[in-house]
Amino acid sequence: MNHRFIVTPNLCTGCRTCELACSFTHAVDNVRGQTRIFPLDGGSKDLWIPVVCLQCDDAACVKSCLVDALRRNPGTGAIELNQEVCVKCMACVAACPFGCSLLDQQHNIVVKCDLCGGDPACAHFCPTKALQWLPIAPARARAAS
Amino acid sequence: MVRLTINGRVVQASEGEMLLSVIRRENIDVPAMCHHEAVEPFGACRLCVVEITRQEWDGWCDYVTSCLYPVADGLIVNTHAPKVNELRKTILDLFLARHPKCTEIIELAGEYGVTRTRYETVVDGDNCILCGLCARICDRMGFHAISTVGRGHGKEIAPPLRQAPPDCTGCLSCAMNCPTNFIEYKVKKGLLTIWDKKFELLTCNKCGKETITREFAVHLSEQRNIPPNYFDTCDACHRNELAAAMGRIAAWDREVQL
Repeated sequence: MNHRFIVTPNLCTGCRTCELACSFTHAVDNVRGQTRIFPLDGGSKDLWIPVVCLQCDDAACVKSCLVDALRRNPGTGAIELNQEVCVKCMACVAACPFGCSLLDQQHNIVVKCDLCGGDPACAHFCPTKALQWLPIAPARARAAS
Repeated sequence: MVRLTINGRVVQASEGEMLLSVIRRENIDVPAMCHHEAVEPFGACRLCVVEITRQEWDGWCDYVTSCLYPVADGLIVNTHAPKVNELRKTILDLFLARHPKCTEIIELAGEYGVTRTRYETVVDGDNCILCGLCARICDRMGFHAISTVGRGHGKEIAPPLRQAPPDCTGCLSCAMNCPTNFIEYKVKKGLLTIWDKKFELLTCNKCGKETITREFAVHLSEQRNIPPNYFDTCDACHRNELAAAMGRIAAWDREVQL
């Protein structure tokens, strides 16, 4: 866990490139998947909030999973959903207070952000650096500024 | 760590793992209907049968259900040997005779070249292969609402005394994971009906979308310490709420900076 995912809403222009990057990265059988990141209207002019899983410490999705399909990856710090173990009871989808555990209706699977296993595609594609994947020291500096 | 050979390829596996999990991880397509990683292996459908042998067995081999066979050092596995395919064909043939209208079985049998059964078909056969996956998942979820009932011809999956199960919370895990989509449920006017029990579906108080059943939400909040108000809104409205809240903070931040 030597990197942090940094979201800076003030820099987001709502171009939705992250959505596309996420969708294509998480394609199943060459059919693009459900996006895990949502640039949403922040309520005032030109303000967009990229809503993405916050990887909570005491996560409601992990607590709600009755079959332990959700586990934290100690390498990336992301909570990952094991598709093989998931029984699609929708408990995590209903329990997540931020709506970041969701149903991929096309493939009929539950999905959530797994930080692409330690190299988030959305951060690569974000043209304004509203989404960044930074080593811890620059991330701290970024957060402080 | 143990080393074994699957279809001529040397693979590594950790001790205590079952063969099928290793085979699936190697992206080898072995059919299995009763298997799910969330529950203990059961070996009901027998379709995951593979041929195993060892160097010291001198050409002798054994046919085992890979979901129940623990990996071991020096094991030589063949997942699609001619004899294994014959065994699978026979199993699918029997399945086809018992469940002639089951599309999942027809499809799988077709892949193995079985289009017509050699055996006498059961005329009023249903689509339940009695693998018990639904009951095992229900147990794993901690509800124990359904189980296999009866013996022989009368065996079926049912709630206790064939009445509406008091322990069922309507989570639909049984229906979602049934390999033949046999378990029926109905969603109508905010009511979910499964195993002859009616459940009230919670609706999002912003957009009105139906989410999970009230019983399931109560179970989660009581057993898993999820605050009950988390279930008031649907996932999309949760995201909008988060965006609005963060938007207020960001707008305030902007004002301060100006």
